[in-house]
Amino acid sequence: MLPYLLWALLFIIVPILLIIYYSLCVETDSGLVFSLQNYSRVFQPIYLRIMWRSVALAFMCTLFCLVMGYPVAYIMASKEYARKGFLLFLFLVPMWMNFLLRTYSWLTILERNGIINSVLSVFGLPNIDLLYNEEAVILGMIYNFLPFMILPIYTVLKKMDQSVIEAAQDLGADSRTVFLRVTVPLSMPGVISGVTMVFMPAVTTFIVSDLLGGAQFMLIGNLIEQQFLKIRDWNFGSAVSVILMTLIIASVAIFSMVDKDSEGGALF
Amino acid sequence: MKILRVLAPALVLAVLLSGCTGGGDDQVTLNVYNWGEYIDEDILATFTEETGIAVNYDTYATNEDMYAKLKSGGVSYDIAIPSDYMVQRMIDEDMLETLDPDNIPNLQYIFGWLKELEYDPGCVYSVPYMWGTLGILYNTDLVDDPVDSWNILWDEKYSGQIFMYNSQRDSFAVALKKLGYSLNTRDLTELEAAKAELILQAPLVRAYLGDTVRDSMIGNEAALAVVYSGDAIYCIENNPALAYAVPREGSNVWCDAVVIPKGSLHKAEAEKFIDFLCRTDISLKNTEYIGYSTVNTQTFDLLPAEMREDPAYWPGEDIFRICEVFVDLGSFLKEYDRAWTEVLASK
Amino acid sequence: MSEHLIDLVGVCKTFGQSTVLSNINLFVRKNEFLTLLGPSGCGKTTTLRIIGGFEYPTNGDVIFDGKSILKLPPHKRRVNTVFQKYALFPNMNAAENIAFGLRIKKVPSQEITRRVEDMLRLVNLRGYGRRAVTSLSGGQQQRVAIARALINEPDVLLLDEPLGALDLKLRKDMQIELKNMQQKLGITFIYVTHDQEEALTMSDTIAVMNAGEIQQIGKPEDIYNEPGNAFVANFIGESNIVAGVMRGDYCVEFLGRRFECVDKGFKPDEPVDVVVRPEDVRIVPQSEGALTGVVRNVIFKGVHYEMLIQGGEFLWKAHSTVMSAAGGWVGIVVAPDLIHVMRKVAT
Repeated sequence: MLPYLLWALLFIIVPILLIIYYSLCVETDSGLVFSLQNYSRVFQPIYLRIMWRSVALAFMCTLFCLVMGYPVAYIMASKEYARKGFLLFLFLVPMWMNFLLRTYSWLTILERNGIINSVLSVFGLPNIDLLYNEEAVILGMIYNFLPFMILPIYTVLKKMDQSVIEAAQDLGADSRTVFLRVTVPLSMPGVISGVTMVFMPAVTTFIVSDLLGGAQFMLIGNLIEQQFLKIRDWNFGSAVSVILMTLIIASVAIFSMVDKDSEGGALF
Repeated sequence: MKILRVLAPALVLAVLLSGCTGGGDDQVTLNVYNWGEYIDEDILATFTEETGIAVNYDTYATNEDMYAKLKSGGVSYDIAIPSDYMVQRMIDEDMLETLDPDNIPNLQYIFGWLKELEYDPGCVYSVPYMWGTLGILYNTDLVDDPVDSWNILWDEKYSGQIFMYNSQRDSFAVALKKLGYSLNTRDLTELEAAKAELILQAPLVRAYLGDTVRDSMIGNEAALAVVYSGDAIYCIENNPALAYAVPREGSNVWCDAVVIPKGSLHKAEAEKFIDFLCRTDISLKNTEYIGYSTVNTQTFDLLPAEMREDPAYWPGEDIFRICEVFVDLGSFLKEYDRAWTEVLASK
Repeated sequence: MSEHLIDLVGVCKTFGQSTVLSNINLFVRKNEFLTLLGPSGCGKTTTLRIIGGFEYPTNGDVIFDGKSILKLPPHKRRVNTVFQKYALFPNMNAAENIAFGLRIKKVPSQEITRRVEDMLRLVNLRGYGRRAVTSLSGGQQQRVAIARALINEPDVLLLDEPLGALDLKLRKDMQIELKNMQQKLGITFIYVTHDQEEALTMSDTIAVMNAGEIQQIGKPEDIYNEPGNAFVANFIGESNIVAGVMRGDYCVEFLGRRFECVDKGFKPDEPVDVVVRPEDVRIVPQSEGALTGVVRNVIFKGVHYEMLIQGGEFLWKAHSTVMSAAGGWVGIVVAPDLIHVMRKVAT
């Protein structure tokens, strides 16, 4: 127990305390002075707008991932599908690659002279502007986070007791009823974890909005990055980080209340 | 497992032997810290041949990375090559050694104006390495108007065909210069005016990019982009339809300079290295490899005519006079940040 | 054949290379309690699942009330199943589990509530309706599973080793309860088990299966008293099986002696299996015995003593309420009608 406590103290507690400390100070000519100014600044409309946008985008991304990911997980988990090992492999391999590289590759696909538009030109169709807009950002987010939605749902569906399905059929449920009344409710823990594992990184991402959005959609992640790397206003950056952390902890708490038994197979 | 037994001692041996550089005992090694892809590595070999001093070469991606590494004090570097504003910050924080000009006779070949830049007038702490301008890279196939003013970036005709830089200082420099103000202004009204201009421009801008602007322009993704001269040279090489211009309102001049961080154990040898870099033939080799503008007057004269007349290498005397170097704005930078956030959030 | 509710005609099932069922021919009458009895892997569960519609036979037909239901999916068949591991819906409580089938049929909720209450009373779980199924004991879960199936008033109830996970006392109680339920409700039960005592207790008819084939079908007493082959004899009840030779009608020879028996119709000198139940082995003083042997082992089984007697090369198992001490020589006598002669099972 003690080694873990020490480790937690050193690597988790102390850094968080440091961030909170920074967030409560303001740099003046006489050094760091205690102040709530950073927090009051965070609540200005312009920054609230940024936070709202981050949450909204993350929400859209999570929704799309759920709608797209559930059927895929379902197909992969059904025993009749023979090539599922290969399909699983196809989903996992990109995850082993660097996040940045994967996002970069979309530039080549979506550019005005990129792959999609080149194909369209071959057929004499007009080119579309697919890059540097909100849609491109959501696309990039979905692409990067989809496996995190599919995997937990797949795991739960796979572990599901087949005999429960048969029992439902036995009692007169056709495929649709089995799906709605049995499969979906029982897969809820997986869905909850998937939603958590997508929403959390989605709300903090900054690379996707920089690269695919042309930096036109400032999100919380961009704001924090800016404060720490370019402006050197660590105090304000810390305040925004604290707000973000609170947001995430709140959402995780809500999610875990629903999934009491932790059957979701989540990574965190 | 058997392979491990052979590999392990071999690895240990390799590590030990790599420490040996051959040659006499007491050999000095310089730790050089530079941007990635920012030197002709043959030069390092030549240096070692001529002086017997070995060079340990390390790279970084941004000034901030380099600053963080040096601040942490983990490794001691003898040479670093930060950008102008970063040199200034390091001087302010007493992180640099003063240079002994007697040990750097080749200083005489550096352009006089480069030695008097605001961040380190008189080259007390630093010697210029490469310099350039900020300007407009444009695609001659897509732009038929003359490109000689920042105003073209506000022209509705090019809506959706403009790339701006995803950087506060650079984008505000463009707006401030367009309005005729200094790009180092600490005047809030001037800043707000520039902000208003950028917000006005925002609907026309396709994207605010970082490094990806180079590949995008080479790929004909847009008509106009704000880029640094060094990047412009690279782009033009890869896409001859591109051209570069520095607007008549003036722009930013940037300079990367060589410094010796405090705590270097080989100051004399480091100064030798700096002197070596300033040598005309070495400077020529370096400039040809990197592609940026040379700091050496003699080297400049040795360059072919088309290069000397290309605005990417030399913007011309008149325009040059109204260019400014970025100066560290200290706590006023927060105002720029706030304004920049408001520009980006306006979309 | 309107008396037959279900007919399995020539049903075969292969999984890849292995044959699980070969040529199963079986019928079930209305209101019958039929048990499929056999060791693990004999194919009894597969047969049950074919009737339920969860497996599709490779060959053969399944006839229900005169019509083939081969193509009917499980949810359309008028059978319900009680699964081995109960398969209750973990996200619903007991009452909701039981009500499931009725909700699908869109039965009005007033009626559902009433019928669920009746069911709970029937399976002795009054008041347990709101309990989460995960909080119920094994026996209680079993009863919920039974109620869930019976509430739909199926023509046939399939039970797949439903009592396997319960302790002995509970199992015996449930056996009696199930039998009573079956008789009271007048539903056809098809029951799968490997426990021969269970089968003997509850069934009207037993089908003994081994290695995918039906070995014998008949009433419990018939199967017990007249086992059709060595396998059945061995599986049902305990038996002593001796290799023997038929010397003619009513005369069989084994262990070097001829015995009178009640079987005939064998070829002269045909090799046969002779089966004697342990409780039919009468122990007498050595001098009076048709065979003799030494008592090797005596085990007190509560109901009787089990003695292992070495008679020549054969080890007899004898059950008696009278104990014969180990080490002593005894005689063995078997009445003619208690000697069962059967053909050797073709290999």
